[in-house]
Amino acid sequence: MPLCLMENIRKTFHTGAIDVEVLKNINLRLERSEFVAIMGTSGSGKTTLMNIIGCLDTPTSGRYVLADKEVSHLSDDELSVIRNEHIGFVFQNFYLLPYATVLENVLLPTLYIEKQKDNREQQAVDLLQLVGLKERIRFKPNQLSGGEQQRVAIARALVNDPDLLLADEPTGQLDSKTAEEIMNLLREMNTRGKTVLVITHDQNVAAYAQRTVQIKDGTIIE
Amino acid sequence: MDRLLKIISQSLKAVKAFKLRTLFCILSVALGIASISVIVAATEGAYKKALEIVAMFGPDALLVFGGGEEARATGQRMKTITLDDIETARQAFFSAYLVVPMTAMRDVTVSHRDKKYQTLIVGSTSDYSRAWTWPVVQGSDFTEEDVKGLRNVGLIGQFLARELFGDIDPVGKYVLVRRIPVQIVGVLSERGTTPAGDRLDDRMIIPITTLMRKLQNETTYVSGLRIRFYDQKNLDFHAEEVRAFLRGRHRIPEGEPDDFTIISPKEIIKFLVALTGSLVVFLGVTGVISLVIAGFVLANLFLLSVRERTREIGIRRAAGARKRDILFQFLGEAVVITTLGGIFGLALALLSSKLLMYIAQFPIYFSWKAFAVGMILSWIVGIGFGLQPANRAANLKPIEAIRG
Ligand SMILES: Nc1ncnc2c1ncn2[C@@H]1O[C@H](COP(=O)(O)OP(=O)(O)OP(=O)(O)O)[C@@H](O)[C@H]1O
Ligand SMILES: [Mg+2]
Repeated sequence: MPLCLMENIRKTFHTGAIDVEVLKNINLRLERSEFVAIMGTSGSGKTTLMNIIGCLDTPTSGRYVLADKEVSHLSDDELSVIRNEHIGFVFQNFYLLPYATVLENVLLPTLYIEKQKDNREQQAVDLLQLVGLKERIRFKPNQLSGGEQQRVAIARALVNDPDLLLADEPTGQLDSKTAEEIMNLLREMNTRGKTVLVITHDQNVAAYAQRTVQIKDGTIIE
Repeated sequence: MDRLLKIISQSLKAVKAFKLRTLFCILSVALGIASISVIVAATEGAYKKALEIVAMFGPDALLVFGGGEEARATGQRMKTITLDDIETARQAFFSAYLVVPMTAMRDVTVSHRDKKYQTLIVGSTSDYSRAWTWPVVQGSDFTEEDVKGLRNVGLIGQFLARELFGDIDPVGKYVLVRRIPVQIVGVLSERGTTPAGDRLDDRMIIPITTLMRKLQNETTYVSGLRIRFYDQKNLDFHAEEVRAFLRGRHRIPEGEPDDFTIISPKEIIKFLVALTGSLVVFLGVTGVISLVIAGFVLANLFLLSVRERTREIGIRRAAGARKRDILFQFLGEAVVITTLGGIFGLALALLSSKLLMYIAQFPIYFSWKAFAVGMILSWIVGIGFGLQPANRAANLKPIEAIRG
């Protein structure tokens, strides 16, 4: 079984009187340990698709199986658990909590684990070491550069050991050299067995992936 | 449980991080809690004071004055009780261990050498000191012989003694009561003031016979009497007995009001409660209003905070927080803040009640009750007014929240 299997996924937004069909009949397969890039023009529906893949949102219709579980009709609470256990998000603007330290930010997903385990903190510290920020664990986000903040976000995305790492334009706010570092980091995570899905406009970023999916006007075109 | 603790630890971090919000909420909650716990303490203080006063008055004692309720209301005391009434009562009430007549004259000019003062002269028997549990601390009490012999002797209250004699020991000295020289044989202990502010120590006690004959030219009527009973539990019953007894002797037909007034310890409590009541009502209204205002301040600042922290909520939701995790976090923030407000308010209450006691001599007593009421109210405000903002935070859609 693939990690993600989407069949005939549709998403319609209702804004006032008008309905906007943003995703039209999406069929998508992600195998375990794949590194996939999704490309498309602005407004083509990439983020909408990623939100559904990451269980932040639900499709209007269609079937979605994640990690052998049908998730398209789960409740809000159940989706929260899925996100907590299976998904790690990385955003374009990092989205760290400004008032929490680096370590506290990385530990955020561990707060919401159903069955609490010990050594979470050790795992967070190890991850911070892996992304090269062990010396910064007591820093606040605003004391870090953009690249460093994104590394913290990656460590946070990985702390619960998810199956799938979702990155929405993770290098959009970074210069090309830093972007390269971040992409190398994501590739390293992929070689360690994580399935990685990156959304990007950038051909150089997509080049890190094993395969690229093009999306246009809400449909996958190759 | 572990999870809830972790969520609450997040609340604590936010309380620390959003200092301005915390400060304003704490201040407004503190004011409300302070005034309400002062009320609780004042009520308790009044109650305690009432018990003290009753203990002083004598929990086993009745005081009977001539003149009914109406006469009392207009401030006059009619003379309706006779020495005969009292003598008969002494023989009739086996349940009483003391029956003491009293008659009083107000604003009588007394003097010692060049010092003049207007005071209260009370005529009574040698049992006066016992009747009021009011010991003679210097010199000695006057005796039964003094009463029988209409002797010009007397006890003096400490305030009056200071007015007339300054630091000199008044025992053995003479005081002119109008034209009559009275020798001071003893000084009563200090009693302070009544809740109404009358100085109890501004008085002289002389034999009732001396007062009636030499100052009033009176042989029959006295102001009243004091009765102390063995069993204070049945005091209400005894009061009824005394009422029936006096009504019988005064031949008051059924349906007519009493021509006397019986004061029991209960009425003293009533009086004190009425006195405290006005302050309690005032503080109560202020307290409730300020607590409600505090609640609205909290609710609004929290709504603002939820709007400001929409992205944070989205981030937490993306990381796997359920709705109720968000709810508990924000509720936790509200409760932590109002708890701090409550603690601060109680400190404020302690301080301001010190001030009140100092300025207004108002009896305020802080027990665990005031603290408990303060803390519980602050939690109610925290949960009650924090619920709506917390609910709003919890019900934000994750994808909308994360967009900020
Ligand atoms: N909640 C929403 N309500 C209504 N319309 C929405 C909503 N979210 C997205 N859309 C619309 O759906 C379309 C796709 O949006 P989406 O954010 O998925 O695009 P995108 O491919 O990620 O674009 P970009 O590259 O600019 O990030 C857009 O036209 C957008 O206006
Ligand atoms: Mg997008």
